[in-house]
Amino acid sequence: MKIVACVKAVPEEQDIAIKSDKTLDLSKAELKVGQYDLNAVEAAVQLQEATGSEEPILVTVGSTKGLKNSKLQKAMLSRGAGALFGVADDSLDSIDAFATAKNLAAAISKIGGVELVICGEGSGDIYSQQVGPILGQLLGFANLNAVSRITLMGDKLEVERTLENEIEVLEVTLPAVLSVTTDINKARIPGLKEILAAGKKPTTLWGAADLEMTKEGNIEVISTLAPPETQRQQMVFEGDSEENIAQLLDNLRKVL
Amino acid sequence: MNKLAKVFVIAEHMGAMQELVSGAAQLGESTALVWAGDKGQAVGADTVYYLGELNNDRILEHYAPSIINLVKTEQPNLVLVESSRKGRLMAGTLAAALGTSVLADATEIIIDNGVVTKRMVYGGAALSSERSSAPTTVATVSPGVFETAAAGKAANLVEVPFVAPATSVKCRERKTKAGESVNLRAAKRIVAVGRGFTAPEELKLAEQLAAAIGAEVGCTRPIAEEEKWMDKARYIGVSGVMAKPELYIGIGISGQVQHMVGVSSARTIVAINSDKNALIFKQCDYGIVGDLKNVLPALLAQLGK
Repeated sequence: MKIVACVKAVPEEQDIAIKSDKTLDLSKAELKVGQYDLNAVEAAVQLQEATGSEEPILVTVGSTKGLKNSKLQKAMLSRGAGALFGVADDSLDSIDAFATAKNLAAAISKIGGVELVICGEGSGDIYSQQVGPILGQLLGFANLNAVSRITLMGDKLEVERTLENEIEVLEVTLPAVLSVTTDINKARIPGLKEILAAGKKPTTLWGAADLEMTKEGNIEVISTLAPPETQRQQMVFEGDSEENIAQLLDNLRKVL
Repeated sequence: MNKLAKVFVIAEHMGAMQELVSGAAQLGESTALVWAGDKGQAVGADTVYYLGELNNDRILEHYAPSIINLVKTEQPNLVLVESSRKGRLMAGTLAAALGTSVLADATEIIIDNGVVTKRMVYGGAALSSERSSAPTTVATVSPGVFETAAAGKAANLVEVPFVAPATSVKCRERKTKAGESVNLRAAKRIVAVGRGFTAPEELKLAEQLAAAIGAEVGCTRPIAEEEKWMDKARYIGVSGVMAKPELYIGIGISGQVQHMVGVSSARTIVAINSDKNALIFKQCDYGIVGDLKNVLPALLAQLGK
């Protein structure tokens, strides 16, 4: 079974700074693999290991500059996948979920013969949780999100979905796009050996000449600003002495 | 505010349906609810487009082609979709069929040269303001954005013809989720626990404190997803519950934005943490630097009186 896992390069959120005008400064934030995508890659690898089929393929969309980063490529490929395909153009840095899904669909169609696409719950930065659902419809595949278990049953999949109040057990005919939850598995942490081996795995970046690229979405981002800060009293007592606890309690009682 | 001509609602749960129908009336001249399941529950909009029953043979996903067909025919300006798991899937499926994206997880919606929403990005570090000028905009709406209107009016009910899906997904079983049902979003007081708790037995202290002050217990993502000491329904943060308590007491919680954004609108924030450099102390009203194993029993001894 040919399995694709979708991954996105996202800025390390710890290193996002806020400028005085409340806009974000991403210049010091290195790119990493979106945290929710790690579960998608792991699910793909586990399924491949269970079926003995070929190593899963990673597909990503992003800026050429970002995707050419070899550290990022190794971070993507050191978790059990066999190859990486990227739709790369510097215009693709902050496109909407529809445009992202269109480019993923173009890449997946170009790869050909893909029977299962696994996406994470949402991207690690924007987290709209929409790329998987949109991609499924664009490809015309069976399309499910909130998937918390995937088991191969002959030529079909048995899939469990964890919804707000209930669990669904479903039988899915391939091809399918499944968006998985964060608790479907515990993603493996690559060792030095895997990271070194990842450097030798094939990476292909496709540009506008190679496939039909969608450079613009139809959602306009008007602004992205740090939220207004709520003024807090910040009355902090240092040390858990009886006196300090009594002071905290006095203040706590005022709001009880 | 300008109104749109036609606003549709797609929801699966009663509470969200009532909120969105009320929101649709604020944003649109005419409103319609697209509904599956219990026909009697579908009220409040000018028109109800009834899809059919919900059971193992027909889950909401099976109605996607019917909904796409309906929306393409009726061409509403805006479709408000509940931000449940199934709602998100339906929103993406519908948007893709319309050739557009989704305004996701809106925490605010206004009409201003199109549909403009606000939503959190970068794990809560920023609010993004986004505009869609698509002929039909699809938006998923966070809980609590609209207040439920008082009385539901009788609607004109239209049965939607079923369009069979081209793909095969069969529902074998639907079971009620094990675990507790807790609604942290509605809680007035929350006692939340984080990595400062080093063993599950210690959680009792937080539970006792919560009981003493009539609070619900919440937690950070690692406590629910990594340690699995608490149900996922209790996890507060950008990918968990966005709560609006009057009082929030964070114990052993460092104060990462991904968690704090879920309680940032609390009227009062109290922090208990042994690390005086913990970020939470910059975001609290009252705090104490101390060992939770000393502070909590002392607080309990007094509050229990």
